[in-house]
Amino acid sequence: MDPGAGARKERPKPREPAARLEKAKQRSAQQELKQRQRAEIYALNRVMTELEQQQFDSFCKQMQESGE
Amino acid sequence: PFFVNRGGLPVDEPTWERMWRHVGRIHPEGERVAQRIRGAADLPKIPIPSVPVFQPSTPIPERLEAVQRYIRELQYNHTGTQFFEIKKSRPLTGLMDLAKEMTKEALPIKCLEAVILGIYLTNNMTTLDRFPISFKSHFSGNYFRHIVLGVNFGGRYGALGISRREELMYKAPVFRTLSELIFDFEEAYRRCWHTLKKVKLGHCVSHDPHSVEQIEWKRSILDLDKLTREDFRKELERHARDMRLKIGKGTGPPSPTKDRKKDVSSPQRGQASPHRRNSRGDRRPSGEKKPADSKAMPDLNGYQIRV
Repeated sequence: MDPGAGARKERPKPREPAARLEKAKQRSAQQELKQRQRAEIYALNRVMTELEQQQFDSFCKQMQESGE
Repeated sequence: PFFVNRGGLPVDEPTWERMWRHVGRIHPEGERVAQRIRGAADLPKIPIPSVPVFQPSTPIPERLEAVQRYIRELQYNHTGTQFFEIKKSRPLTGLMDLAKEMTKEALPIKCLEAVILGIYLTNNMTTLDRFPISFKSHFSGNYFRHIVLGVNFGGRYGALGISRREELMYKAPVFRTLSELIFDFEEAYRRCWHTLKKVKLGHCVSHDPHSVEQIEWKRSILDLDKLTREDFRKELERHARDMRLKIGKGTGPPSPTKDRKKDVSSPQRGQASPHRRNSRGDRRPSGEKKPADSKAMPDLNGYQIRV
């Protein structure tokens, strides 16, 4: 029997689990960042919504006082 | 200024910093706003709203209410930075992917985003026609643009959308004609001291979320300065008739108009309307400055009633 016949060609190993782990870590970090940003965005939006409402209310009051 | 996040989510650092710088410039408390929020450990947790799902037996008007509640729950975006970039010339399928992303990321939105979301959330309502309605209004020397999603169910007109002003967004589908709906918006504008200048009506949007068609945003362009009240109404009804007859691009003759030579409304186009290079997000809310209005308005440090 040909000694080479039974030998399998060495396949390149699939991407190491370490690389996959790294990718999962990055995804998780990205997700955390998104969650953090979302929380800050809504906190900011609350402040800016209040500002807009105050300014609008003041403007309406002035319009009423000036008799439009 | 009007900023748009073009880098997707999470927001990249330059865009993030620009957002906070902008806030620092426009809020009376300046940078203290950012200092209070950024890095704070005790920010409230905002639940992600659930996309409404319906039983087959749920009537369409109820579904529209639920869709509008969902849109409202995302909140109007007052931060000064739009988080989703909308290119109006994109094929519908791309815009629907973006809408799906909006539901996953669940961030505050502005009017154009709400229109795209409204289309996405009503695609399975095949008996409901949807068409964009754009407004251009004037207030205190500046022009403002706004858009809602017109709907027609069983011959009754309404609208979905979001706005800083409550009266310029949701309208239950109770208006018997398109004119009544638009006049209602006009009156709402008047109540917040805006003068409606132009109305642009799009054609019905396909219900196929994978369609590669583009949304036709301005099938009819109606300049209120050039139309009598009656002509305005007639043009609106002509557009409504065209939608009912589902007159598509080059598929049939348009409804006759009174006087095409005046070109007060957009003629039926055999081809798609020319699309702007820039998305709505590139435009300033007060895009065109005019000389100061002759009507005196109280000056609240230059406060503009935006819609």
